[in-house]
Amino acid sequence: MSDRLSVTVDGTAVEVPPGSTVLQAARAAGHPVPVLCFDDRLTPFGACRVCLVGVEGRDGGMDVIASCTTPARDGMVVHTREDRARRVAAAVVELVLSELPTPPAPHTELAAVAREFDLEPGALRWTGEQRAVRHDTRHPYLALQHELCISCGRCVRACDEIQGTFALTAVGRGFHAGIAAGIDEGFRDSACVSCGACADTCPTDAITELSLLDLATERAQAAAPNGAPA
Amino acid sequence: MSDPRFDATVPTTCGYCGVGCRLEAHVAGDRVRSITPALDGPANEGHTCLKGRFAHQFSRHRERLTTPLIRDRAGTLRPATWEQAFGRIVDELQRIKGAHGPDAIAGLASSRATNEDCWVMARLMRAAIGTNNIDNCSRVCHSPTSYALRKALGLSGATGSFRDIDHADAAILIGANPTEGHPVVGARIKQAALRGLQLVTIDPRRIELSDHAVLHLAPRPGTNAAVMLGLAHVVLREGLTDEPFIAARTRGWDEARSLIEQYDPDEVQRITGVPAGDLESAALVYAQAPDAAILWGLGVTEHKYGSEVVQLICNLALMTGKIGRPGSALLPLRGQNNVQGSSDMGALPDTYSDYRPVTDEATARAFETRWGVPLSRRKGMTIPQMFDAAVAGDLKAMYIFGEDVAQTDPDTHHVVAALERLEFVVCQDIFETETTRHADVVLPASSFLEKTGTFTNAERRVQLVGAAITPPGEARTDFAILTELSARLGHDMGLATPAEAMHEIAALTPNFAGVSHARVGRTGLQWPVAADGTDSPTLYGQRFAHPDGLAAFAALPHREPGDQTDEEFPLVLITGRRLQHYNAGTMTRRTANLELQDGDWLEIHPADAARLGVTDGQRVEVRSRTGRIETDARITERIEPGAVFTAFHFPEIRTNVLVGSSADVNTSCPEYKVVAVAVTPFDEEPAMRPALGEPAAA
Amino acid sequence: MLAVVPNNLVELVRRHHAVPAPTVLDLLSAAAAGGSGTVTAEHVRDVAARTGVPEATVHGVSTFYDDLLTPRGDRHVRVCTGTACFAACGEDHVRRLEDGLGVAVGECAQDGSVSLAETVCLGYCHSAPAVRVGDTVDAGPGAVDRVLAGASAPAAEPPLRSLLDRPVLTRPGDWSGLRRALGGMSPAQLLDAVEEAGLRGRGGAGFSTGAKWRFAANAPGTRKFVVVNGDEGDPGSYIDKALMEGNPELLIEGMALAGYAVGADHGFVLVRSEYPRSKPALEAAVARAHAAGLLGSDILGSGFSFDVTIVLGAGSYVVGEETALLACLEGLRGTVSARPPFPAQEGLFGLPTVVNNVETLCNVPVIAACGPQAFQELSPDSPTAGSKLVCFNERFANPGVVEVPFGTTVRQLCEEVGGGLRDGRTIKAVQIGGPLGGILPASLLDTPFDLHTLPEVGAMVGHGSILAFDETTDMREVTRHLLRFGAHESCGKCFPCRIGLHRAHEEFAAPPGAAPIDRARLEALLEALEVGSLCAHGSGMPAPIRSLITHFEQELGLA
Repeated sequence: MSDRLSVTVDGTAVEVPPGSTVLQAARAAGHPVPVLCFDDRLTPFGACRVCLVGVEGRDGGMDVIASCTTPARDGMVVHTREDRARRVAAAVVELVLSELPTPPAPHTELAAVAREFDLEPGALRWTGEQRAVRHDTRHPYLALQHELCISCGRCVRACDEIQGTFALTAVGRGFHAGIAAGIDEGFRDSACVSCGACADTCPTDAITELSLLDLATERAQAAAPNGAPA
Repeated sequence: MSDPRFDATVPTTCGYCGVGCRLEAHVAGDRVRSITPALDGPANEGHTCLKGRFAHQFSRHRERLTTPLIRDRAGTLRPATWEQAFGRIVDELQRIKGAHGPDAIAGLASSRATNEDCWVMARLMRAAIGTNNIDNCSRVCHSPTSYALRKALGLSGATGSFRDIDHADAAILIGANPTEGHPVVGARIKQAALRGLQLVTIDPRRIELSDHAVLHLAPRPGTNAAVMLGLAHVVLREGLTDEPFIAARTRGWDEARSLIEQYDPDEVQRITGVPAGDLESAALVYAQAPDAAILWGLGVTEHKYGSEVVQLICNLALMTGKIGRPGSALLPLRGQNNVQGSSDMGALPDTYSDYRPVTDEATARAFETRWGVPLSRRKGMTIPQMFDAAVAGDLKAMYIFGEDVAQTDPDTHHVVAALERLEFVVCQDIFETETTRHADVVLPASSFLEKTGTFTNAERRVQLVGAAITPPGEARTDFAILTELSARLGHDMGLATPAEAMHEIAALTPNFAGVSHARVGRTGLQWPVAADGTDSPTLYGQRFAHPDGLAAFAALPHREPGDQTDEEFPLVLITGRRLQHYNAGTMTRRTANLELQDGDWLEIHPADAARLGVTDGQRVEVRSRTGRIETDARITERIEPGAVFTAFHFPEIRTNVLVGSSADVNTSCPEYKVVAVAVTPFDEEPAMRPALGEPAAA
Repeated sequence: MLAVVPNNLVELVRRHHAVPAPTVLDLLSAAAAGGSGTVTAEHVRDVAARTGVPEATVHGVSTFYDDLLTPRGDRHVRVCTGTACFAACGEDHVRRLEDGLGVAVGECAQDGSVSLAETVCLGYCHSAPAVRVGDTVDAGPGAVDRVLAGASAPAAEPPLRSLLDRPVLTRPGDWSGLRRALGGMSPAQLLDAVEEAGLRGRGGAGFSTGAKWRFAANAPGTRKFVVVNGDEGDPGSYIDKALMEGNPELLIEGMALAGYAVGADHGFVLVRSEYPRSKPALEAAVARAHAAGLLGSDILGSGFSFDVTIVLGAGSYVVGEETALLACLEGLRGTVSARPPFPAQEGLFGLPTVVNNVETLCNVPVIAACGPQAFQELSPDSPTAGSKLVCFNERFANPGVVEVPFGTTVRQLCEEVGGGLRDGRTIKAVQIGGPLGGILPASLLDTPFDLHTLPEVGAMVGHGSILAFDETTDMREVTRHLLRFGAHESCGKCFPCRIGLHRAHEEFAAPPGAAPIDRARLEALLEALEVGSLCAHGSGMPAPIRSLITHFEQELGLA
């Protein structure tokens, strides 16, 4: 087995070590792919499907694959802007936006991904049931806003794989899948050691810091005409 | 990529424990709004703990010192101008120096301050005052580690990096509870253990990591030496020594070997209470692993023979050749953020930077040449010696920088007596503390979020500290205060910035030869750093840092701890840390961490509790030979019978009044970890009202 | 970039099983079936303490499986809403039970006397509707009345027959394959034989069994497992049920052969909890095999040792996907994981594992006993090797499980084997192979039944169920029924399936008179599901919907 794999990404040839993913190859080639459930610190999860790319098949066709979980192969030809891959990824982000009762804040990763796909949270093809608003703010630092959770599993993996405390879990299934701290009792009464790795990785501010919510309120008040509360 | 919510994002290094997490401080309106871990931080790799991430609000706490304070004739601290404060300090220090000589003055540097702060503090004492009476708080934590590593291997620092945890096949963790004390390293060890690292924990408490260990040994407090000797015995008996390594790279083996032969597992079981079979298994886990690390904390050092135990730890690594390569390392878990650096910088009574003795003529000359003043060749006083001298009336003034000695040092009553006896005390701090109550002048200083410079973590990694916000009110950076005071005392250091100070450090310190702030960059440099900037993640790959290039075995027997239980004081108190708080709690108690834990308690085994009639949650009195405290009992099987545990984060409990004067034989590091105590429940009877006398006639 | 971290939870669970111990799911299922009628926070804490699995993780498990979520009264009634019951009754039987019992689906009476839950499906598709009370399944006309009268009676089991001269799958297992293999074949020879026979998985994906085994046999590691997917979740299919309950020896023999070929010493069968009779039947067969020296250590003096454990699921369709199946066996949430790693490399507890469907393994004994050639000759008229069990739903005149050769047409199966529809009804459409199978209108019944031709018309053999809808069926209701099932059973991991199936169901659940469904929007949704989903559940659901759009566009109300 060769100690390097040759991969072509959007016409750029790149060599990556064996065991690399297609996503890593694309990044190495300078053609980044948008992601939502991916974090460099965590095991790839393959849930959000936003990192879909086209890969030329051996039969001449074009396969659409999730780049974060697919190993790069020697001689692979990858197209990060392939039509069907981008169309489906955009549809998935649109579906994600459709489940949130409020648009994601501009600084969040989800908002950035939505911009990447030119999606306007106000003009979505799909509407329907949205996530229920529920907040846990009993922790002195961490806020959990369940309605912003997109079940990407990053917080759960951060708690498992970075901190090793296992205070978070995925709950429910299907559309109603979400997350819970402990036995859904909130951070404060769970095994949480307040390391904040979950807030750090959350792409939507479903888990964030109370201080940042305060800052947002402060900014909104400053921006409002006559300084009136928004 | 800048985040529009913030005015600035400043990369810096955490000011809490010795792990040295690289952080990014996000600032809006001159306030830190959030801190996130830097993804490229070598020690933390994108992680941090609740202290580093959240406990930053203390920087804008209303109790911050914002103006100098001078004690008036009535004994009250009153706000003053910097001019008045500097004037008073210069007058008093010059008066005392004139009347009693420079050695009547002593200074304490801070293990929380930057390398550059410690450097100018040491220079202030040595060059502006003219004394070697300079010490720092590593005296009371890891001075035994520093001493022993220098003696055994040559350099005062970890032989490797935290990354070695990921490469090791096995590890021994002794006398440390990193998931609370060093949470990011604790998480790293836990992850490694889940991936298959064969972990052995050795501690009188069953710590969280013991749940992920292949073995947990719970020796009687104060018997670590016997455990290490016993492990060495099994390694020897089983033929698992690395004879070529011993022959080529060490000296003193024969003597050590004959001592080790005396500590068979049965004997060690008798001394320590650790089952012989467990000891044997642990030795095999370590010795049979291709690569293995040993990590330790204050549970090793804060003992009467702490420095000797560290030498015995080195023995074990040397006899198995597990040193000097990735995965095989000796990793002391340093307590405060800059324990390593404050000592590296020579803020010690007997050494200049690089641990070169003050008695060494060539070194002293080099400093004299650079600084342009004659320097004392007489060793100064250690912290305990300073307090003794103060009580005896020989020491007249102290300049205490960033340390709350009246809270954290042992035998608190003695420390307070010393402070009261001194003619003049200066405190330079960010809050009023137990110690500032005894100060004549208090100077408002800056926290790590408000200054620039470098910290050196437990991996010998020098990392940049960036100023995210400005000091509050009139407060100034420590660097500005110390250099200005030095100039007013007649010694202008000529150092305008911490970066310039680092140039001077590099010029005068061979192991820092290639260090500059520019080269330290985002990911730091591990000393020794050659003049060309090449640093040293792993030490001793080829030779040890002794003149002969060899490592030294130590033939040291087990000896009983200084404080012994008896009928009156039948339990051993161990003190330590909780996750939510840091050291004296000066910073963390001024954050919402207090909401997560707002008090302390005494951990006691169910058997002891039953015998003493103590119930869970009950108020108890803890008495030692030197003092008494009150706290609440919490019954847990995580502690061994015969031992009790509490932390020292809360001044209202004042745990350290219990700790006596027993200390490490080589370094005077106090024996915090073995204190004979008696625990008694408070009488539950309701208090009696005084008799009201005869009812008044209607 | 940091090194990839293996699954910490699986590692914690693996350490817990260093000694014999129940899983989190075992303990939670026991708690749910216990006196309290529901899983409480106290149960969760207790299970966490007993297993060493974190409380949050245990809580996550307790919110995943249907069996743990529905409250239970003293009398717990589970009504089948599978597609066969739907084809027979629509949802009338559900409404009648709700009215008659006085509780809504998913609820328990205030006094705790009775509870009603929905279940998909009970595997009595030959005799719809099916209702389960306790462990008794009643089915067929009058079942609802009997349940309401408190007099439910066990339904008749379906007939099991074969069209082959020498039946393979309906022949009672006699251990001749294992005897022959252990008597003279090396594991490599057995593996070669299975590969040469051309056996392909019968669970739906049709992957080569020999190739799958070879991956596991070649995977490094001294400990390997055989896992049998007995989670026959496809509504309308009761083939595996018939095998597990009617011919368990054949399955266990097939497992032992798989173990011998790949070097595994233990096998697990995950049986769905919707089949209360399957686990006892399998366990009885295991006990008989032990007594006969055909399981255990040093079987027949060959030095080969193999044992089998039967594990009960807890109500989740997606657990039929192999990575979710392994998670369920580990007692964790039955969610799908991205592959690689494949189970053959890192399977149960992270160790190399062969995962096969029940019927697939039941084919192995004949290959071992008679050789690959004989196996290929079972279906002379088809490129697909071996025979296949098919089953017919209650709409047919002769429902039941039948062993057929590949290569007959669907029409022959429906009309000659199934006997056409009962009561003079006519076929409007058939769905073959479960909820992910395409739907054929009556006009396409002449398509040959095999792995190669059915995909050309948007259908598949799948599990082998043949489910007819008669001429009275509203195909828009069928669409809604399928999407409701799909959305309910999505494991919730990948976004297209989690949100997309819910949105698709919402489109068809709109009240009558709502605006017509935008076809372009629906097509975009189906494309996202098909291309984007992590497993066959999300990527497979568009197939029947597309065939419904193609063949019944008018009825669906698209614009």
